[in-house]
Parts: sequence; structure tokens; C-alpha cells
Amino acid sequence: MSGPLYRLAGIEAAYGDGRSVLHVPHLEIPRGSILGLAGHNGSGKSTLLKLLGFLLEPSAGSLEFDGRAVDAQAWRNAHLLRRGAVLLGQDTCLLSRSVAANVAYGCKLRGLSPTREDIAAALASVGLEAKEYAGRPWRQLSGGEARRVALAARLILKPLALLLDEPTAGLDRESTGHVKAAALAARSGHGTTLVIASHDLDWLSNCADTVLTLEEGRIVSGQG
Amino acid sequence: MDYFSEGLAKAVQLLLALDPETFSAVWATAAVTALALAASLVLGLPLGFALGHFRFPGRRVARLMVDWLLSLPTVVIGLIVYALFTARGPLGEWGLLFTLPGMAIGLTLLGLPIIISMTATAVESTDVRLTQTVLSLGADRFQLLAATLVEARFAMALAAASAFGRIVSEVGIAMMVGGNIKWQTRTITTAIALETGKGEFATGIALGIVLMLVALVVNLVVGLLRARSAADYRGRV
Repeated sequence: MSGPLYRLAGIEAAYGDGRSVLHVPHLEIPRGSILGLAGHNGSGKSTLLKLLGFLLEPSAGSLEFDGRAVDAQAWRNAHLLRRGAVLLGQDTCLLSRSVAANVAYGCKLRGLSPTREDIAAALASVGLEAKEYAGRPWRQLSGGEARRVALAARLILKPLALLLDEPTAGLDRESTGHVKAAALAARSGHGTTLVIASHDLDWLSNCADTVLTLEEGRIVSGQG
Repeated sequence: MDYFSEGLAKAVQLLLALDPETFSAVWATAAVTALALAASLVLGLPLGFALGHFRFPGRRVARLMVDWLLSLPTVVIGLIVYALFTARGPLGEWGLLFTLPGMAIGLTLLGLPIIISMTATAVESTDVRLTQTVLSLGADRFQLLAATLVEARFAMALAAASAFGRIVSEVGIAMMVGGNIKWQTRTITTAIALETGKGEFATGIALGIVLMLVALVVNLVVGLLRARSAADYRGRV
């Protein structure tokens, strides 16, 4: 399918108190591209990612995803949209299951049963060896390992868009390297569109096709 | 103290000899407890999930009602159920008074608020990040419900164990709705009350031993589940 993966026009988003926290007059995200989001804490990066991940419904404006308008009917079945655009948020957690069960969970939600090889490949893509980690309970993982397992659980889904919110925050050098490499491999291997919010501006400027800077919920620089 | 030691010795004999009358009460207790607990779980788990998960008008009132039902005296529940099932009552023609199913319905009213309240609390205290994680992976509403219930499984098992403990040891409802009919609706607790009143301590003690063993097992299970539940919420990354 041709055309951008996302097309946003006149988007406003607000939380419960009605105060507008995001204002995007126009934004197109091409398929297979990498979009970087920069900005201070509270600038609206996470809000934009939640909107792109269909976890937050805009209060105004129009949104297209994969060539289709995301209207009220589509929002009623938002889980179908989320199966195309998967978010790894800052507040993501693992389920209280084994590593393998965590990696396979998203597939099972889609009625699919990944093979051991599929799970091993997903774990390998984030630098974890299945033999050592697959059967390990979630609570025996370090913070960095848990983040990598959470990423593997999303990579195995081969989504159209992978939305990463501060994916390397608080990680050591080794885990950071694996997370960055795995994310970029998803783009080169499956054509996954990446949207990455990060304070690591060197990484964003090196890997992203476009870097947008947000301030108080508005895009203040970069190409949209 | 002689009567006590004699009663204890005779009680052990009754248990070892599998005394039919004693085990009839044990069987009736097991049957009504199983029925009441099953009904409490089937009705209480979804209601508790809804109360803990969704935000809707009147939620606070609903929560207050459940908490109020938790503290309702069992003789009052027995009285209400008796009034419903008695021949002149609105459900009299169902013939449930002085039957095991009738007792199970009364005991369900005792167990249901426990399951609803503890499930709601378990769901409320489930890590708030869980919902976003599961939704972001593409879960629909039912899959979210299933995931939440699975994640809160130890806390809900704790609710089931607590309800079991309350139901199995109940005497007021069992006496009023069951009628304490020998070989039919006589449970451990009503038999203890009756036999002790008659001065038959041995049977009372024998049944008391069974009930204490059950209570010990329930408490051990509750302790284990509480530890597992606490460990789950400590370690999530």
C-alpha cells in the first residue's frame, strides 16, 4: 500500500480535565521511516505516542492509519488498530509469567501460537539467549533484561508501527546497545515504521529520518 | 476434665470408625459449601472485576452496599432466606426450605459479598501499568479482563479461601434454612450445636476436630496465597 502510514490533521488531545495537551496541525509519517521525538519532560512526546498507539483518542481533528480514516467506528474496535501500532511505553510492565510466555502473549491475543524458534529468534534479536532466558520467571530479570524482553514481545508481532517511549532510559550500555540494534533491525528487516521518543539526541539524529522537537504539546521544530 | 478427655477419646474412635452419622454431617457440609462457593465465585468474580475496574456513576454506592452486606449478621441473612422459602413466602412453591440447595443459596449470600469485595480490591490494586501494557499489545476487552484476572489470581484465590472459611463454619443460616435434619441437612456446625446441647460431647468434639482441621488447612492456604500475592506486586519491573 502506498501513502504515509499515519496522516494527522488538526489533532487536539486532552486528558480528563479538558485541558488540551497536544496540538498537531499536520503530520505525516511515511511507511518504513524512523521518526524521532525530542523535547523536555512533559513536552507531549508520550502523549503523541499514546495517540499514535491508539491508547488516547483525540478530542478534535482527523487521523488516518494505514490508508484508512480512524473514525468513531474504528475507535470502538481500537484493539484492531493497536494490533498494527504497538507501543512500548515508559510504564510498560511484564506479566507475571515466564519470559517465553511474555514474548508469546501478544501473538496469543491475535490467535497465533508462536513456535519455540519464533520466541528464540525474538529473544536473540534483543541479545538474550533463549536457552538461558525462555523459562526464567519474569521476577528474576534485571531492569535491563525486562525491557529487552518487553521489546522482544513487540518485535515478534512484526507490527506496521513500533512506538518506543524512552526505550533506553535507565539502561546500561549493553542493554542500550541491544535495544537500539533490535529497533533498527525491525525497520530494516520487516519495514516496520519506528517512532522513537528519546532524550538521546545523538542517537535520534543518527538513526531517524526526521526528528521533531515538541514543546508544551506543539511541534516547534523539525519536518512534519 | 474427665468428661473432656473421655469425649476426646470417643471422638477419635468415631472418626477412625468412619461413624455414619458423623460423616453424614461432614458430607452435608462439603456439599453445601461446594455449591455455595461455586455460586459465589461464578457471580462474584465478574461483579468484583466490574466494581474494581470500571468507573461508573453509583460505583461508590455499590461499593458501600457490598461492604454493608459483608457485615450483615448471618441470622439476618438466615431470616430473609427463610422468609423467602417458607411455604407462605414468595418462593415457597420452589420447595427449597430445609434442603441442601436452599442452604447453599443462603450461604451464597454470605460468600458473595466476600468474593465481590476482595476481587474488586485485588483488581483495583493490580498494577495500573498492566492495563496499558495489555491494551498496547492488542487485547480486546475480554482479553483485558482475562489478563487482569490471571494477574490477580493469587489475590482472588485468597478471596475464595476466605469465603470458603466463612461458609464452612457458618451456623445461623445453616440452622434456620436447613432445619438441622439428621442425615439430610445436618452440617458440622449445626450438629456440634445440637450434640453439645444434648450433652453428647464426643460427637461434638469429633466434628469440631474435623472443622478445626479444615480451618487449619484454609489458614495455611490463605497464608501461602497472601505471600504469593504480595511477592507478585513487589517484583514487577
